Amino acid sequence: MSTAPGMAMQEELTSRILRVGLLPILLTLSIAFMAVFEQKFFGLNNIFNVLRSTSFLAIVAAGQMLVLIVAGFDLSVGAVIALTSTVMAKTMAAVGAAFPEQNAVIIPLGILAGLGCGLFIGLINGLCVAFLKVSPFMVTLGTLSIATGLALLLTQGIPVYGMPNGFVKDFGRALWFGLPTTVYVALAIILAVWFVQTRTKFGRYLYAVGGNLQAAIVSGVPARLNVIMAYVLCSMLASTAGILMTARLGSGQASMGGNSMMLQSIAAAVIAGVSLRGGVGKVELVALGALFLSILTNAMNLLRVDSKMQVVVLGFILVIAAALEEFAQRRRRHV
Amino acid sequence: MSESAKAEEGGVNVIGWIAQAMLPIALVLLLLAFAAAEQRVLSLGNLQNILIQSSYLVIFASAQMLVIITRGFDLSLGTAVSAVSVVSALLMTGSLAGEGGSLGLAIFAGVLIGLGVGMLIGAFNGIAVAWFNVNPFVATLGSLNISLGIATMASDGRPVFNVPREFSAIVYNGNILGIPAPILFAGATLLVLHFIMAHTVFGRGLYLIGGNPRAAEVAGLPRQRYVMIAYILCSVIAALGALLLTGRTGSGEPNLGGNLTLESIAAAVIGGVSLRGGVGGVLAVILGALFVTVLSNGMNLNRIDGNVQMIVLGCVIILAVFLDRFRAAAT
Repeated sequence: MSTAPGMAMQEELTSRILRVGLLPILLTLSIAFMAVFEQKFFGLNNIFNVLRSTSFLAIVAAGQMLVLIVAGFDLSVGAVIALTSTVMAKTMAAVGAAFPEQNAVIIPLGILAGLGCGLFIGLINGLCVAFLKVSPFMVTLGTLSIATGLALLLTQGIPVYGMPNGFVKDFGRALWFGLPTTVYVALAIILAVWFVQTRTKFGRYLYAVGGNLQAAIVSGVPARLNVIMAYVLCSMLASTAGILMTARLGSGQASMGGNSMMLQSIAAAVIAGVSLRGGVGKVELVALGALFLSILTNAMNLLRVDSKMQVVVLGFILVIAAALEEFAQRRRRHV
Repeated sequence: MSESAKAEEGGVNVIGWIAQAMLPIALVLLLLAFAAAEQRVLSLGNLQNILIQSSYLVIFASAQMLVIITRGFDLSLGTAVSAVSVVSALLMTGSLAGEGGSLGLAIFAGVLIGLGVGMLIGAFNGIAVAWFNVNPFVATLGSLNISLGIATMASDGRPVFNVPREFSAIVYNGNILGIPAPILFAGATLLVLHFIMAHTVFGRGLYLIGGNPRAAEVAGLPRQRYVMIAYILCSVIAALGALLLTGRTGSGEPNLGGNLTLESIAAAVIGGVSLRGGVGGVLAVILGALFVTVLSNGMNLNRIDGNVQMIVLGCVIILAVFLDRFRAAAT
């Protein structure tokens, strides 16, 4: 086979880009762009902001990824955040009224109640998808509606105060070695998920179930259990993000999370090359995807791009990323 | 599809019959239960009210049906409705603001541009899904954002007032032989759609593409073109519904779409349009839309808290997928 050297080089370049992935390139480009056009981006406060919003998003997106890997998706993550926020704040306020100043009782109970919401919604999602084989779209749409309704019903839309001061000041808004708590929690979660994905049987089972369900069942993978676990973990990670957001804000709010968190978590995962057909996805790339989305939003804010225009830009980026991913996959199949 | 399968069996499929009749029976029971709690539910005025209310949902759900049959769905329907409403209202009011603007021309232009916006959004979805093989969820999520941006930017987030009263007089208050305009529009849409789905190569093709993609390919159906047209038709029908809603409110509303996406998908699936593709028809859409409307109407008249209604709707959606499973197993 004799090809012109120029063609060969182009082929080589394309295949290298496809191997590395578009994301690191996009990240470098956007940071370089900001270096030229807006130095404020590199201010310490702004970097903190970006890191904090990246952390919230990365936690939720890591959960979303687990569900996407088993060929599902979870529309209810935003609603779970809202429910967690209100239930935790209510619990802390109630326990605080019964045992004043007993932070060692109030805080663990509140956090448990919050995580309980995630467990509850995750179980409904997982059980319905695994045992009834119904579309994850409809099931999680239903739980989205239920969780949002519950959160609004509990609070009537009014913020819930009464969480212990220590929880907000020494945890939610605290800095450790100069970085917000959230960043450490997010890093720990990403590491843990990475460990599970690459080093444990459960992680490999998830890929197997999503990649080829029949083959997985035939080889004795407990498919249903793994699907349920993926949904439960996803909701509980969303709960964790809800707890961190509530601790930072200082009150429980039914408007927290919402549809934008759901859309962004899916967008971060898709940009990171997680396939909506299942079987593909790496948490380290998803964290990069979350970083990219946060930088993009932050950059547009700094450059005073109209918030309505920002929505349009996000929409285009999402579709283009998905189209490129599809293109890359087809090339790989042909090679 | 399922009807023909049953006919071939020849025998009476009792379970299948129950599965088919479940929804109409549930609808009647629901209506009676609400009526027991609140007599106004069965009053003639309220029944007409339910019909008018459901005719909008019927239009949106039938739009959604077209793409669900091809194993897709359209998340951008709600925000497309908002964009159409705002843009057409702006054009109508704008062209009347100057000297001597012709009323008829303004309304005509507004309607045309509204349908045009719908067509553009549909073409975006269709090209992304059919030609670039983007997952329908992601493609329409993208256009959800884009059309939301268009709606809020064009209107600056505020309602566009002064839509000509004559427009509302036609599409909302108008009637032929006493039948209100919204019902007429919904009926006409359903008739045309039924004809397309049941009697044209395109319609039959959509069922095959959704039900058995491999067979559709072997049969040589132009999958990409058909799927793209399905998305375009979906958005154009949604645009028609948006114009009717604009006529009802008398203003272009940047958040007119609200929950319409979820409601339209819920109505279609409750009625029996399968998310696995290839199954569903106009009748299913009518039943599903009526069910959702009766549910919310009854809860409103019984003064049930809006947040509780949300929880109930969530439970109904999950119930609907159970029902869908049951139907699939029965036929």
